[in-house]
Amino acid sequence: MSQITLTGIAKAYGTSVAIAPMDLTVADGEFLTLLGPSGCGKTTLMRMIAGITLPDQGAIRINGRDMAALPPEKRNVGLVFQSYALFPHMTVAANVGFGLRMRGIARDAAAERVRAALALVDLEPLAARYPRELSGGQQQRVALARAIVIEPDVLLLDEPLSNLDAKLREHLREDLRNLQQRLRVTAIYVTHDQAEAMALADRIIVMDKGRIVEEGAPVDLYRAPQTRFAAEFLGQTNVVAVTAAGLLPWNAGVAGPADGMVSIRPEDIAVTPALDGAGRVLSLTFLGPAVEYRIDIGGTVLRARDSGTGTAILPQGTQVDLTLRVPPHPLQGVA
Amino acid sequence: MRRLPQGVVAALLVLPSGGYLALFFGLPLLLAFLGSFGLYARGGDGGFTLRHYADLFGTQAYRDGLVFSTYLAIVPTLVSLAISLPLAVGLAQTFPGRKLFNALYKVPLVVPGIVAAFIVMTLFDRGGLAARLLTPIGIDLPKIVRDDWAVGVIIATAWKAVPFMTLIIGGSLGAIQKDIILAARTLGATPLTAFWRIQIPLALPGITAAFLLTFIGGMGAFAVPNLLGPVYPLPLSVHMYVNAFERNNWGLVAAMGTMLSLISVLVLLAYYRTTRSLRTAYGGEVR
Repeated sequence: MSQITLTGIAKAYGTSVAIAPMDLTVADGEFLTLLGPSGCGKTTLMRMIAGITLPDQGAIRINGRDMAALPPEKRNVGLVFQSYALFPHMTVAANVGFGLRMRGIARDAAAERVRAALALVDLEPLAARYPRELSGGQQQRVALARAIVIEPDVLLLDEPLSNLDAKLREHLREDLRNLQQRLRVTAIYVTHDQAEAMALADRIIVMDKGRIVEEGAPVDLYRAPQTRFAAEFLGQTNVVAVTAAGLLPWNAGVAGPADGMVSIRPEDIAVTPALDGAGRVLSLTFLGPAVEYRIDIGGTVLRARDSGTGTAILPQGTQVDLTLRVPPHPLQGVA
Repeated sequence: MRRLPQGVVAALLVLPSGGYLALFFGLPLLLAFLGSFGLYARGGDGGFTLRHYADLFGTQAYRDGLVFSTYLAIVPTLVSLAISLPLAVGLAQTFPGRKLFNALYKVPLVVPGIVAAFIVMTLFDRGGLAARLLTPIGIDLPKIVRDDWAVGVIIATAWKAVPFMTLIIGGSLGAIQKDIILAARTLGATPLTAFWRIQIPLALPGITAAFLLTFIGGMGAFAVPNLLGPVYPLPLSVHMYVNAFERNNWGLVAAMGTMLSLISVLVLLAYYRTTRSLRTAYGGEVR
């Protein structure tokens, strides 16, 4: 049961700002995802919570307790590294039991907790193996078991799935979410993968250049982004100018804020063939569940996506009409 | 074209490296071993004999020499290890002047052992620099050149071996993924615990290599103990020289060489055994 509060936290390496002063609160039991491109400061932020990177200023509190003077070993956080960072000279059981040993838990009790943690990640039969004898996915699960067995106040996950292949990643993503909900542990998850962020998080913090750009629940962030950065980072979108007269580059009969920009998701554009249509199919990509078109309309190129098995596949050069399935979403503060 | 049988192909492939090893390492060792039993020995009579070993173990000076050679291998190596390990750890940290220190500590690597011996002699012998500086202020330096405990030899050998061991140990400590140590820290290990339980076991291959190379060097050391060591006992290496060039007793030399090699091999095996069990113990296997 733990709440994390960051107040005015900041970090710079020489002249380059890793984290600009920021405040952040993570609610008890919340699954928070820090999403952003590499170098945006998300990992630094997480490492500061773990105590392995020290902030230049600001305070970090876990359950109201100030962490400033506490070294990593006293913070009771579970950290899963991108590289897993398993101890290569220890068996799976010894890896998972390490944190309990450090806490002076009696041998029998520790062995039982190790067994339970391994059962939780379906690795009980591999307890006596060494990390080198495991697959990437198994190593990742050992790292997870090692982090949760100590019953941490907060579980920190640094791109834990990024070294795995797509299918396994999807599978483990679900397991991770289930596990977190079952344990009710507060979790902070760092990733640059927007699909992962949306699938896992209760709340996403979008970061860029050491700053929080935008935050919100996955649905809100995806459907109603406030900033161009968030709109473009979470999935694909078309950012189009809009005037009082209507939507550019074609008059779709939708007026927006004068001289503003709107975000239109490709799946919100319906494409219908029309001999006198204003648009023309430049290229198409068949993705399996969907077809993606690049469409030229009045000199602007838009992406549109149509899905479903019954979807007609329009060849290159087809003249088309574009209609919006939902009103376009206005963006703030972009030129 | 008919294909050669697989066994023949394998043998041909191994031949260059295997042949080289056999010719330049195996053969000399074998000749020394046979020579110690009077077979194919230089200047020997050719018949099988245990006379040389009887000589070696029957003569007090040689027995003491064998023990002393072993002492000169073990003690300087342990002293060097005790200095190199913390030094290697220290050098991995950032501190002002690190670059300069990093270059300076390696200087002894390029100084020949005999020169190191003379440096120690100039500094610490009776009437040496240290004595001349300290006597006026009432400090009387104990005898450390040609003393019974071979302190001078230990100093000179360690002076040479510390940078060498530090370099190897530092390399293997540096090769440990930083995240692994950080993982240990977040799991509750203090820096010291992480060092003993994670870094040391993972750096053991490097530590073992540095230890063994220094040990074997000490086992056969000739110049340094000859210059700085006590008058009695003399290390076996010095006895080998005397027996070869002053007494033409090559059979005995071969027996002494075989004993020195044998002890080195035994230490090697013992060390591998202990480090392996250490590794397991430190790792805290829970099976």
